[in-house]
Amino acid sequence: MKKRQSFLFVGLLVCVALVFGMTSGAMAGKIRIGVAAPFTGNLASYGDNIKAGVNLKLKEINDAGGINGQKVQLVWGDDLCQPKDAGIVGAKFAADKSIVAVIGHLCSSATLAAMPIYVRAGLPALSPTSTNPTIGDVGKGWFFRNCYTDDFQGKYLASYVVPKLLGKKKVAIFYENNDYAIGLKDSFVAGAKSAGLTVTGAEAYMTGTTDFTPQLTKLLRDKPETIFLCGYHPEGALIAGQSRKLGFNGPLFGADGIDNEDYIKIGGKAADNTYCTVPFLAASAGPAGKDFAKQYKKAYGRDVDWMSANAYDCLGILAQVIGKVGTDRKKIRDGLAAMNWPQFGYKGVTGLTYFNEKGDCSKPAFVKKVENGKFVAAK
Amino acid sequence: MGKLRLQNLTRGGKIRIGLLALALILPFLPFISDYVLHIAILVLLYMILALGLNIVPGFNGLLDLGYVGFYGIGAYTSGLLTYHLGLSFWVIIPLAFINGAIWGILLGAPTLRLTGDYFAIVTFGFSELVVLFLTNEIWLTRGPLGLPGIDVVSIDLTLFGGPKWEFIGELPYYYLAIVMVLVTVFVMYRIQDSRLGRAWFAIRDDEVAAVSCGIKLLAYKVIAFAISAAFGAVGGSFFARWMTFLSPDMFKFWESFLILCMIVLGGMGNIWGVMIGALVLVSMSEVLREILPLLGLPVQSRFLAFGLIMVLMMRYRPAGIMPIAAVAAKMRAGRVKRKKVKPAVGIKK
Amino acid sequence: MFLQQLVNGLTIGGIYAMIAVGYTMIYGVIQLINFAHGEIYMLGAFFAITFISFLGLPFYVAFLVAMACCAVCGVLLDIVAYRPLRQSPRLAALITAIGMSIFLQNLAMIIWGSRPKPFPHGALPAYFEKTAVTFGGVNLSWFHLFIFTITIIMMVGLNLIIKKTKWGKAMRAVAQNKTMAALTGINVNRVISYTFALAGALGGAAGIMVGAFYNAIFPTMGYVAGVKAFAAAVLGGIGSVPGAMLGGVILGVAEALGAGYLSSLYRDGISYAVMIIVIILIPAGLFGKVLKETKKSM
Repeated sequence: MKKRQSFLFVGLLVCVALVFGMTSGAMAGKIRIGVAAPFTGNLASYGDNIKAGVNLKLKEINDAGGINGQKVQLVWGDDLCQPKDAGIVGAKFAADKSIVAVIGHLCSSATLAAMPIYVRAGLPALSPTSTNPTIGDVGKGWFFRNCYTDDFQGKYLASYVVPKLLGKKKVAIFYENNDYAIGLKDSFVAGAKSAGLTVTGAEAYMTGTTDFTPQLTKLLRDKPETIFLCGYHPEGALIAGQSRKLGFNGPLFGADGIDNEDYIKIGGKAADNTYCTVPFLAASAGPAGKDFAKQYKKAYGRDVDWMSANAYDCLGILAQVIGKVGTDRKKIRDGLAAMNWPQFGYKGVTGLTYFNEKGDCSKPAFVKKVENGKFVAAK
Repeated sequence: MGKLRLQNLTRGGKIRIGLLALALILPFLPFISDYVLHIAILVLLYMILALGLNIVPGFNGLLDLGYVGFYGIGAYTSGLLTYHLGLSFWVIIPLAFINGAIWGILLGAPTLRLTGDYFAIVTFGFSELVVLFLTNEIWLTRGPLGLPGIDVVSIDLTLFGGPKWEFIGELPYYYLAIVMVLVTVFVMYRIQDSRLGRAWFAIRDDEVAAVSCGIKLLAYKVIAFAISAAFGAVGGSFFARWMTFLSPDMFKFWESFLILCMIVLGGMGNIWGVMIGALVLVSMSEVLREILPLLGLPVQSRFLAFGLIMVLMMRYRPAGIMPIAAVAAKMRAGRVKRKKVKPAVGIKK
Repeated sequence: MFLQQLVNGLTIGGIYAMIAVGYTMIYGVIQLINFAHGEIYMLGAFFAITFISFLGLPFYVAFLVAMACCAVCGVLLDIVAYRPLRQSPRLAALITAIGMSIFLQNLAMIIWGSRPKPFPHGALPAYFEKTAVTFGGVNLSWFHLFIFTITIIMMVGLNLIIKKTKWGKAMRAVAQNKTMAALTGINVNRVISYTFALAGALGGAAGIMVGAFYNAIFPTMGYVAGVKAFAAAVLGGIGSVPGAMLGGVILGVAEALGAGYLSSLYRDGISYAVMIIVIILIPAGLFGKVLKETKKSM
């Protein structure tokens, strides 16, 4: 009995050691870039988008012979959008000296958890989707992102979308209790004051709620003209449906969290007349963007979304920088930091990207609308 | 206790000393990167947590489903005290210990007189409320925005005119974790051999008999719960200073379940079993995370496997891989093997 | 607005009641909190949409077939996971229950994916959307009425089964005292399976209705609903079927009013708090029997 147990135990240790040893090894001759996103779990669909965008760019790069003759290899790190797992993925990437940069993470809380590790190890991270404004402070120069931050989106919605596009003044806010939505709501409320909008009420909900009727009843009592779906698309779709059932017929609007095919699928007819801001809109993009949208549709059979576009550009930015400075982590970080003026920026499918000292970039936002069950550009 | 000579140690003792030595020199072996150290620290942290939880189901026979609540309380206590007051880690540990114990008493006193099922559910409700509180009370905890920028642990001798060492990287935390685990194990062993521990085992094995020996059930159970909570809080405070970032969704029920898995797998009530359980589960978890995508299975299967393991363990080896005789006997006692008896001739159904 | 909140609350409450009844029945016969019951509720919804999408069954047929499948799942759950541990200490059975719950949740995630799925378009009868009754500024659609009707029918039906039929009597007997019930010739295992089947069917029905009404079905929906329904069962007195029904309705209304008038963030917290307070202060709930720890001499 004891002997068998000791055998099992030793065998276990050996297996463990082997796996760790194996996976930390480097593959000679290829440029390895880590990609961290939730590839399984509730937000797996977002991770799929990142994967799709990055893979498209990867094929382009490698078909053209790679960067300075070296092919690029991607290393996937599934962080399940959880801070603890993000820490593990971060440690893995940081410890693997052959990984020269990281595209990620997707969720802001995951990025916040992993950044201290990247800072310590000196590994630059470029996120396509993390919008929490505080990441720049934690990043200490090693963090960059090519998406706008939550304060920008909120202000844009308040100052432009609601008064000018929708022509409404009274807004009810329904926000999700997570870092993304709270930041968005705060900046919206701040912007609403100066834009002369009235916020008739603000209700919060927890992620995963399915029944919003009590809160909606309360909000609708104050007769808002439009409802701000401040959160992600699963709950947004449900809120849309339930608000229609309760008799609300005005327009709805949200931010990039709503931008997903599932919103229309789950919301059904109720999803019509919803506006949302997005960092990328194929219809309004330049020729590079339109081209990219076509390629994406051909490769994956579905319409392109902003996460894929940003991820595509992330890899493009890294490729450009690595092409100039080589594969040293610190040099790559310096190369990214040097892109601080428009003329040093990167022209990609999402427009021109350049970074400020916190690693943030300013990108324009576009507005989409759901009409007859499809996303179209809003006029 | 006899003279502590090398030849006097039992075989088990020798293995343990060997493992300790291995653990101490681990960072200097080849192939050991910061990633492996990170996982190792996670293993050690979960060992502390599992040892803490072990007190309640293992020593006392009650199911605590809300352990993650204390873990979270400890982590946020540590995080907030550091963030706002800049307290030193060494001051925070005893504070967290006391805070955890207080909450353990607060929760335990009214609920430990309930039957096992109710107690389990109440602890579950408690941990969910803790998470809700951490998420919603943004003014205190910053809620979902998370608490980034917590200072790292440091040994600050500036008051005595000495230097200040900050814990940078995984290595110092690794040794800190080893020290904490050793202290925890030591405390557990002392408790196990003390009157307190024996009272607990009596309660676990037969409550009625225990009471008739004069053991005050409620008092001992509350003490057990409080100590368990205290260790959970200490684990949490280490976690906060190590990750330097906290967010309420790190403290969901799933963590309680995971730690429960560890002690179930390893052997409830058995100190070493529990530690082995922690080691196995965390390493397997990481190994599976690597392998599963290669095999084309979704990473979700990892969680599926855990659920399955629990069910199978309870069915076939409810006392764990390294069972304690008393617990194993108790688990077995109810299961009478039913033999199929052939009816005597002539009796038809 | 109060009336609307009341309607909201009654709708949710009816659903909680149906799930709570399942918990209470199972606890009554085997003294086990079936943590995996919430997953049966979830499976009901998934079965329904699978039958509709892949087999093209009409809504009502799919409803019944899915209910039947859930009944079978309940029985399987008992046979596979709980029956072997009938004599084991509570701790082992509880851990198994949790293990099964996690297992089923993740199994569903693997089979159907973790993204929320809508009810297939056009599967629901068209008139469900239309308003049937309006009073006091509140619109009740046919769907609301459907849910209320089904809930009431099932509750009444369950009561009839328990009070009037032989099986019901057997269930009550087993709940009172297993050994004596066996001595009177009742096949205890079969009765328990029967209970699981009933509980499963009701839970599944609740799942389908929720899935259709809110138009979102996802593998973790059983988790929160399960806990709340359990709180309802506790409130009503675990082991008492009418108690569970009442508890469900009360909890649903409390939740709706709480979310509407107080804080919507602590909405789930209301259930947990109710559960904890009830267990500590009145463990017997409204109608149940006292199930306290044996010792008072502390």
